[in-house]
Amino acid sequence: MYAGIGALLLADGRLPTGGYAHSGGLEPALAAGLDLGDVPAYMRARLQTVGLVDASAAVLARRSDGLADLQAALLARIPSEPLRAASTSLGRGLTRLARRLWPEHHATHMLEALPSAPLRPIALGAIGAILELEERQIARISLYDDAQTVAAAALKLLPVDPADAARWVLESAPIVEESVLLAVATSRPQQLPALTAPLIEQWSLDHSARTRRIFVA
Amino acid sequence: MPDHTHTHPAPSRPLRLGIAGPVGTGKSTLIATLCTRLSEELQIAVVTNDIYTDEDARLLKAAGVLPVDRIKAVETGACPHTAIRDDVTANLIAVEDLEEQFAPLDLMLIESGGDNLTATFSPALVDAQIFCIDVAGGGDVARKGGPGIERADLLIINKTDLAPYVEVDVEQMLRDAGDVRAGLPVIALSRHVPESVDALCDWVRSVRTAYGEGRSVPQDPGPMAPHSHGHEHATG
Repeated sequence: MYAGIGALLLADGRLPTGGYAHSGGLEPALAAGLDLGDVPAYMRARLQTVGLVDASAAVLARRSDGLADLQAALLARIPSEPLRAASTSLGRGLTRLARRLWPEHHATHMLEALPSAPLRPIALGAIGAILELEERQIARISLYDDAQTVAAAALKLLPVDPADAARWVLESAPIVEESVLLAVATSRPQQLPALTAPLIEQWSLDHSARTRRIFVA
Repeated sequence: MPDHTHTHPAPSRPLRLGIAGPVGTGKSTLIATLCTRLSEELQIAVVTNDIYTDEDARLLKAAGVLPVDRIKAVETGACPHTAIRDDVTANLIAVEDLEEQFAPLDLMLIESGGDNLTATFSPALVDAQIFCIDVAGGGDVARKGGPGIERADLLIINKTDLAPYVEVDVEQMLRDAGDVRAGLPVIALSRHVPESVDALCDWVRSVRTAYGEGRSVPQDPGPMAPHSHGHEHATG
């Protein structure tokens, strides 16, 4: 009953999880030399690598078994401490939402029982289970959120017409759908894709040492 | 819907006190003053909100007023207003972390990023809030009003020692503030005037006592003027 509106809620940047402080790595990418024309390609690169890993983890969390193994598998795929911290802060925001809205739900208890604070995709997938979202939908939300985070940050960091940023997100649809299919094909934590984006990792480390950044990561 | 209970038993967590106000009015210094003056009697921790990185947190750490691990910076992605008002998640997480790590705390101070005259804390984040303006921002600021100036639990008119240099009449500012605040407290503060710092500390103690006895209900200054059913439409 709540799946339709629940999907929209989870995809909405106004969801209170602190997402506005994140750029999906765009700020450090620009600092490293990328420019306006590179942003759509940067967005696509994320959707095919770290975005796909996150979406796959969200799908497995949606299935609600073995969250602890899944969290460990995902942590192993995020070697950069600043990126772990960024994902954790968003995951804690989502967990807080779950605790407030569904304090007695089994999935909420599973999030609270994890040995470390849930990463974003774990919490997202668990809420997807509470809202009974389809696996494809939760994967799509994870990917869409990744792309929109980059697009929204671009509006603060670069001279962009906001309609153009909306177009970047829309035009990423084929890659989003490709990654959705790959994500739902993941069957267990050990099979979680391990696609890395070494430059995104390196830039995240550079960013964490910077003193005048606007975005957390 | 969240439950709204109307009884207020003695709380199990520290008083969360917000300090908002425009950039440069002395919020960080005010917090440093409170830490210096109250840290012998109260267990204190601080969360700062910064526009860039963690500058305010570093300023406080450099001031040496608290152990550095009791000062936490929340980064706001250039949205200092959002972080204290409509999506307080990151701040709540930082506050809850400190409260757990240093339990039992007596006082949690939360400094907003210096934003503008309309930024106030959500009651979901703080139990009480101070709005800080200063004489150097212009003698007419108090008269102009705004949610923080009119309805914060305490209004500070800071840096009164500078008044002669910026040709501002502090007494007039206090009268203006009194006119728009309908009896809510105002303190003219200078860290070089010990009595004014005493008044500030006494106010914090009184709020803490009220909070500890369950007598304090967070008041929302709101972003807007209180709703009126008349036909006047306030602007600005």
